Amino acid sequence: MVLQILLLCGLVLFSVLAILVKDLLKAAISLAVASLLLGIIFFRMNAPYAGVFEISVVAGLITVLFMLTIALTKSGDAVESKTASFAFPAFFVVFITIDALIMKKLIQRVPALPGSEEPGTIGQVLWNARTLDLVGQIAIIFAGVFAVLALFRKGGNKDE
Amino acid sequence: MNSTWFLYMFFVAALLFTGIYCLLTMRNLIKLSIGIGVIGKAVSLALIATGLAKKNVLAAQGLVITYIVVEVSLVAVALALIINVYRKTKSLDVRQLAKLKG
Repeated sequence: MVLQILLLCGLVLFSVLAILVKDLLKAAISLAVASLLLGIIFFRMNAPYAGVFEISVVAGLITVLFMLTIALTKSGDAVESKTASFAFPAFFVVFITIDALIMKKLIQRVPALPGSEEPGTIGQVLWNARTLDLVGQIAIIFAGVFAVLALFRKGGNKDE
Repeated sequence: MNSTWFLYMFFVAALLFTGIYCLLTMRNLIKLSIGIGVIGKAVSLALIATGLAKKNVLAAQGLVITYIVVEVSLVAVALALIINVYRKTKSLDVRQLAKLKG
């Protein structure tokens, strides 16, 4: 449990770093390290499939996409405001204190739903228990593909 | 619900606060997408922790895998939009978008 708390602290730390660091490349790498820690946390929480997806897809693919974008938009480092970074630690400490003090009582007021019994395997859960939302998921993937194709088509910007 | 679940929820709230603060105060478009990614991590951690507390990790894993697939699509479209905005305005500042005249 101590190791798990350390991993969670590292996750929050690297997420804060990803937001506060001025250099965008370092921010993307911090986000990848946070994804890696989250994947390890998932493995330790008895959820290996989610951990594999988190490490391979989020820490791998999305980081590559971010780096490509940062390389394609070179001069974008200088737009950050100063006050945002300076005010963050104070707000964060105040929020953590409030969180530690009252969150447990607040959550306990929400009535707990009854849990269902554990189904068989991950394949049954992924493909048999869900049918309709898979259609929606396929629609989202196609929407993403067509949106990227439409945004990068040649000769589309007539007014340039 | 056991005390482990509350511990996870504590960290989930911290991550959510970080992401929402980023969305509210930052002006760089790439930083905004990083903030969305941080909020996504909080949501996946909350799902898996709740599945663990309810002794139904498999269903939670299915939801998290679905979310990760959707997140890749979201990030790809968002970054393509950001590159197009950069080509138009030569800047990543989100305030420049308000000056666009159709």
